[in-house]
Amino acid sequence: MIPELLSALPLTLAITFTAMFVGFCLALVAATLRVRRIPVVSHLTDLYVSYARSVPVVLQLFVAFYGLPLLVALMGAEDFFSPTIAAMVGLSFYHGGYLSEVMRPAYLAVDRGQHDAADSLGYTFRQKIARVVGPQAVHFALPGYGNSIIYLIHNVALVMYIGAADVMATAHLIMQRDYNQYQFETYLVLAVIYALMCLIAWFIVRFFELRSPMQAPEAMTTTQIKNALIASV
Amino acid sequence: MLELKDIKLSYGSTQVLNGVNLSVKRGDVVSIIGPSGTGKTTLLKCINYLVKPASGTIAFDQIRMDYQRADKAAIQAIRLRTAMVFQQFNVFKNMTVLQNVMDPLVVVQRKSTDEARDIALRELERVGLSAKRDSYPSQLSGGQLQRTGIARALAVRPDVMLFDEPTSSLDPELVGEVLKVIKDVTSSGITSLLVTHEMQFAKNISNRIVFMDRGVVAADGSPAEIFDAPSSPRLAQFLQSELAFQ
Repeated sequence: MIPELLSALPLTLAITFTAMFVGFCLALVAATLRVRRIPVVSHLTDLYVSYARSVPVVLQLFVAFYGLPLLVALMGAEDFFSPTIAAMVGLSFYHGGYLSEVMRPAYLAVDRGQHDAADSLGYTFRQKIARVVGPQAVHFALPGYGNSIIYLIHNVALVMYIGAADVMATAHLIMQRDYNQYQFETYLVLAVIYALMCLIAWFIVRFFELRSPMQAPEAMTTTQIKNALIASV
Repeated sequence: MLELKDIKLSYGSTQVLNGVNLSVKRGDVVSIIGPSGTGKTTLLKCINYLVKPASGTIAFDQIRMDYQRADKAAIQAIRLRTAMVFQQFNVFKNMTVLQNVMDPLVVVQRKSTDEARDIALRELERVGLSAKRDSYPSQLSGGQLQRTGIARALAVRPDVMLFDEPTSSLDPELVGEVLKVIKDVTSSGITSLLVTHEMQFAKNISNRIVFMDRGVVAADGSPAEIFDAPSSPRLAQFLQSELAFQ
């Protein structure tokens, strides 16, 4: 059972990492447009973020699953479509909208005075973002980002409803094949797999949180970071 | 050297600057005093365009700009020739003390890291912060933060220093260390504009005092003229209340 479940892990991770990467890019664009308030474009972005945050994820996956074929048919690329692609698209849009509302408050949380200081010294907008505001916003965004990654990993389990063969779908296939004899054991193994994925993701994010110069009153050594991570687990 | 003409600015329906005229000669140390809410800080922020006046003009040596037709090149040129010390310090929180002073030199002025480091270390020594160069802002006291801000401003070699109530956010026992550094800076001959409520300090270090009231320059003169022979009852009343408090 375990090797079978693990064989579905690469696809689960592929969906997760695609949604993480594409969602991050979408979130960056959406957060920028929502902060800068460009007429029409920003309003459309508001609509997108509202959709991603308020419509249940499973529904967003169905919208992607049934809507995407219409879109690819218009572009004459029907062969391109598969449940896995629909899962990646659906989750990317969900994650992008959700994450943009982590990034936007993080950007706004940077003290106005930091902008003023950089402007008064002659930093260009890009220099200011890269050197001063960006790193501080990352610090504010990290805890929320860690949560959004964990939610994403959880929501990947929903892709089985549109026929993508992730670990959850594989688990159900195994249970049906075995006449539902080992349901508890299968779900237990599944729980461990999800818990491990979340733990690793959380571990990485927490590492960067602890390394942030704005985090600790005293600079933390590598050993101190290691101890803090172990203690928090 | 620096001339502001008819500067007007409002925040919503509140008129903050109501036609301010101010000219500063090279080497002047001008203290701007006045009751809270009269636009002293706003005026200072107009100079480097941190706030956008509704109208008025600025002339900074050869650079001239009408605020109604603000142009990016002029704004940048003025910003590169001025340096501001903020009431709330505004030291970059993600950088060490040394990085705070070095960063504008490397990023904006395109100096080499070695050159920037040399300049930064000199300025940190000048403000007495060499020992704290690797500390982050979260590890410093208010006085140390403000001295970092001053070192950062001095390092860019500005023609004009703009001090915006540099001691207002400090605990009383930390005010002295910052005033000492400011006195050292202003006595070095650098043109300075200082918004302050430290009346005695303003009297001692300035060669000109500007009294602002209700968004205009209500009095302008030498420290002796302003403090010893106030030209208006409003100024006399303000000085009396400030000096009585101190």
